[in-house]
Amino acid sequence: MTLPLFLAAAVEHAAKPGIPERFGLEPKYIVMQVISFLIVLFVLYKFGIKPVTATMEERTRKISAGIRYAEEMQAKLAAAQQESATIVKKANVEATRIVDDARKTSKDFLDKQTQEATVKSADLLAKAQQAIELEHKKMLADARSEIARLVVTTTERVLAKKLSDADRAAYNEAAGRELTHV
Amino acid sequence: MASGKKQTQQLARQFFKLSIVDGTLSADRVAGVLQYIEKHRPPRALAVLKAYQRLVAAEFARGQAVVEHAGAVSPSVLAGIAAAMTKKYQRPVASVARPAPALLAGLRVRVGDDVYESSVAGQLATLARSV
Repeated sequence: MTLPLFLAAAVEHAAKPGIPERFGLEPKYIVMQVISFLIVLFVLYKFGIKPVTATMEERTRKISAGIRYAEEMQAKLAAAQQESATIVKKANVEATRIVDDARKTSKDFLDKQTQEATVKSADLLAKAQQAIELEHKKMLADARSEIARLVVTTTERVLAKKLSDADRAAYNEAAGRELTHV
Repeated sequence: MASGKKQTQQLARQFFKLSIVDGTLSADRVAGVLQYIEKHRPPRALAVLKAYQRLVAAEFARGQAVVEHAGAVSPSVLAGIAAAMTKKYQRPVASVARPAPALLAGLRVRVGDDVYESSVAGQLATLARSV
């Protein structure tokens, strides 16, 4: 039942004018238009699309390079920051160690100086005491010598006045007896 | 120079030996030596005489005990000292008294370079040194 319908429609369709006839299409025009289009397309591609594409590719390449450079720079910056942080940390540790060493050295130096000052002061004190003792002994010896000299001088004067000739003669006799037994 | 001085000393010693008789200094020999020197005039006569004088003076001092004293000293004491020194030095030693008031009391005997003392001044000096 369907086939007859199709056949009828085909007959009807074949009987009617085609679309090219209805729209006035001519193959030669179509070919000329295609050729014209191809020429236009070639010209556009040669002088329009191709340079634009090249420029866009160049820009794309530059942008990519820029991005890659920026990424590298960012990585380097991060590495530099990390390295600087490491250096700062290390410097802090070193500074702390140096400060500790300096404190320890200063403390040792202070202790040493204190000890030396103590020893020197003790030495000076001992020497001063010795000097005082020596001075005291010398003063006593000088006083003793002076007193002895005064006593002897006074005794000599007293004896020179008080000794009588008889006393001297008796002493001489005793001295003579003593000297004959030397 | 040194050789001349040595010769002078040797000559003076020879003259001095000639002046000793029996271990004592002889006045006659000394006079003879002096006459010889005056007559013959040996080289460096003055230096020889000085050296001879020193030797004679030393020998004279060795034979003499100078007894310094303060106050009177009896002849018996002087004789005792002379005898003691003669015995000690094994040669004749004569004592000669010489006053020395600085001794205050006591005696000081010098025989040559040796000194023996028993005096108040000496004891006071010893006391002063010991204090």
